[in-house]
Amino acid sequence: MAPTRLAAKPIGVNENLNGILTHGITTRSKQLASLKGHKDGLKVPNKRKADSPLKDMTAKRAAFGDITNAINKSCANNDKDKILAAKKVTVESKILPTLKSVKPQPILNGKTSKTKTLHRVATNAFESVQKHFTKDTAKPVSTRAQNGILKNIDRKPAGKENQNHSQTSVKSARSDVSGEPSLYTTALENISPSDSTKEEYKSISEQLDKVNLDDTINRSLDVETETPHKAPSGVVDFDQENWNDPFQVSHYAMDIFNYLKSRERLFPIDDYLQRMNGITSWMRALLVDWMVEVQESFELNHETLYLAVKLVDLFLARSSKQPERDHLTKEELQLLGAAALFIASKFDERIPPLVDDFLYICDGAYTLSQLLKMEMNILRVVDFDLGVPLSYRFLRRYARCARVSMPTLTLARFVLEQCLLDYALVPHSDSKMAAAALYLALRMKSLGTWTPTLTYYTGYTLQEILPIALAQNATLHKKPKSAISTVRNKYSHTIFFEVAKVPLVEDSVLSS
Amino acid sequence: MQKYEKLEKIGEGTYGTVFKAKNKETHEIVALKRVRLDDDDEGVPSSALREICLLKELKHKNIVRLYDVLHSEKKLTLVFEHCDQDLKKYFDSLNGEIDLDVVKSFMYQLLRGLAFCHSHNVLHRDLKPQNLLINKNGELKLADFGLARAFGIPVKCYSAEVVTLWYRPPDVLFGAKLYTTSIDMWSAGCIFAELANSGRPLFPGSDVDDQLKRIFKLLGTPNEDTWPGVTQLPDYKPLPVYQPSLGLAQVVPRLPARGRDLLARLLTCNPALRMPADDAMAHAYFHDLNPSVKNDRC
Repeated sequence: MAPTRLAAKPIGVNENLNGILTHGITTRSKQLASLKGHKDGLKVPNKRKADSPLKDMTAKRAAFGDITNAINKSCANNDKDKILAAKKVTVESKILPTLKSVKPQPILNGKTSKTKTLHRVATNAFESVQKHFTKDTAKPVSTRAQNGILKNIDRKPAGKENQNHSQTSVKSARSDVSGEPSLYTTALENISPSDSTKEEYKSISEQLDKVNLDDTINRSLDVETETPHKAPSGVVDFDQENWNDPFQVSHYAMDIFNYLKSRERLFPIDDYLQRMNGITSWMRALLVDWMVEVQESFELNHETLYLAVKLVDLFLARSSKQPERDHLTKEELQLLGAAALFIASKFDERIPPLVDDFLYICDGAYTLSQLLKMEMNILRVVDFDLGVPLSYRFLRRYARCARVSMPTLTLARFVLEQCLLDYALVPHSDSKMAAAALYLALRMKSLGTWTPTLTYYTGYTLQEILPIALAQNATLHKKPKSAISTVRNKYSHTIFFEVAKVPLVEDSVLSS
Repeated sequence: MQKYEKLEKIGEGTYGTVFKAKNKETHEIVALKRVRLDDDDEGVPSSALREICLLKELKHKNIVRLYDVLHSEKKLTLVFEHCDQDLKKYFDSLNGEIDLDVVKSFMYQLLRGLAFCHSHNVLHRDLKPQNLLINKNGELKLADFGLARAFGIPVKCYSAEVVTLWYRPPDVLFGAKLYTTSIDMWSAGCIFAELANSGRPLFPGSDVDDQLKRIFKLLGTPNEDTWPGVTQLPDYKPLPVYQPSLGLAQVVPRLPARGRDLLARLLTCNPALRMPADDAMAHAYFHDLNPSVKNDRC
């Protein structure tokens, strides 16, 4: 299988790597086209059958039969969808010309005609999107069978009129990114404390108490509304401030993050490559770079990407302890990455891409049965435990508690994502990686140093994270290589505040 | 599969058939849930994936235990602890009214299981009597995590197509996709009332509109004053304005005042004001709970 994109890359590609990573698609518009292509050309319209959990619910649950989950699917309007919409259109209009320039490739299996179909379909999709946007037509209800990523296109306009204003924080989240549509900005990213106050909760309590209560309960309730975890003096209690914003889950936030931190030791990753023949840290970097590309193309959550990369490392770390004949070969490396993304999507995404999408992005290098076997293999090796603590999640928590601005948080995310590619950083705990990335970002933006608040919420002193921050800084200072430039390009976009262009700092700045 | 001897079919789960079976060596009775893996399919169903993964993490007395996962080419078999019946069947087997101490014990165990889920980052999203298992010792366990998921902080948008209609909270009925642990607390409130009424469902609606009307007839129709933001929910529609005329005393006549107070705090339309599970466990209603239930730590 011709590795189309690798071959096209001018420099920095090791000849040995040909055939390791095949780039089926590299752009979002091609991706869209592929999906549509599946539908129109490859005739798999009924692909999503009984495996959707929700569908299963309706179909199989006996208890309430048809009343179960009968909610209308047209309610697909929330900020996220709206943002998806906006972003997708920009990207499509930008990339469509590129697609046009895709020449029919002299490849086997009648690929040529497929490319044509894809092009036509992509154009249609684009036009239909434009149509939706010019006049706010009624929202078409997409069916389950129509699923896949394309679904979002149909849904888009709905978001316009009906977006959810109920959560003040959602609105301010948007204003945080200064009106920039940001696909990657999860709802509720704002760092400012919630407007709602304890008063509201109190007034309801009082109302209830008036109706029917004796004072025993009053007393007990007063005690109960206190935060169970007390921040030390001098530290702003983020959870207390957000106590009545349910979307912050302040009530459980401290417990949950303590729990996640305690689970980190269950997922140790050692220097596994030294046990393996034929797979190098450079190949791993290429693989992760490609995974970031897939994440962008499929518009997957960042949690999905981070989980998938973890699954790759955990799989290699554990399977390389087996007899050598069970070791993964370099030819299977991309299969591992695709299967890891496939699993992570099913775990985290609301609407995961279909298995065919994952086969397609490997440009047909692997068969369905190979992918499904690899899926099971990964699940077996990680013992079905997908609750891996992820640096991305720790970072969001830390940044919010420290009230870091979106550009700074985004810079820290860039650091983390760039570091995903660096094998040398693989053994470090995710919570430490997150804390160090935040520290590095603060320093790069000259926003001061590690504070007591950060020490409290991360549980780490500067001394504990400094070595990792220095290692991360070294990663950033590495000479950019075009073969692994996806993360840098991604974070050079205005949506990400062009944080990849923030000047780097010397190590001495970090240690000062 | 040789390890287990199938005894009888128990039922259909979210994504597979459930059998009662016996471990041939230990003679322990277990429940086997079979997930078929077809070659032309999407691999392991995401509901099974989530259930397995979440239950592997959630080890607690009030959560059904997943002992093992057996996998072969064509199927996955989940080996669960076996419980004698679910709460629905328990209701059906009742002769006359339920013992109020049992109501209190079950409710406390439900809340304890939920508090454990929530503090471990998991939403159940399908609580109902059929998914609560009861064993001979009067222990209650949360089961069927086929719709459950791990949640982020702050929460992201999840599917609005969750929770069986009768136990679905008003915010989700109005299409809210941004929800959090409060989604399970509403269901817990509905189950509390159903327990107190010996198995009579509190809001047996026939469709979303009927469901909302039933809720608001009891609790009053919410407005921007009682629930800021309600009119902005995706599927919000103006419904008849009901005053909260009917007191809970008429709806759950056997429940004492403290129990009614707890119920009111769970059945709060505005999700921001709905009581969380661990607060509910500390409610005065449970002050005279049988200590053997209360101290029965996992």
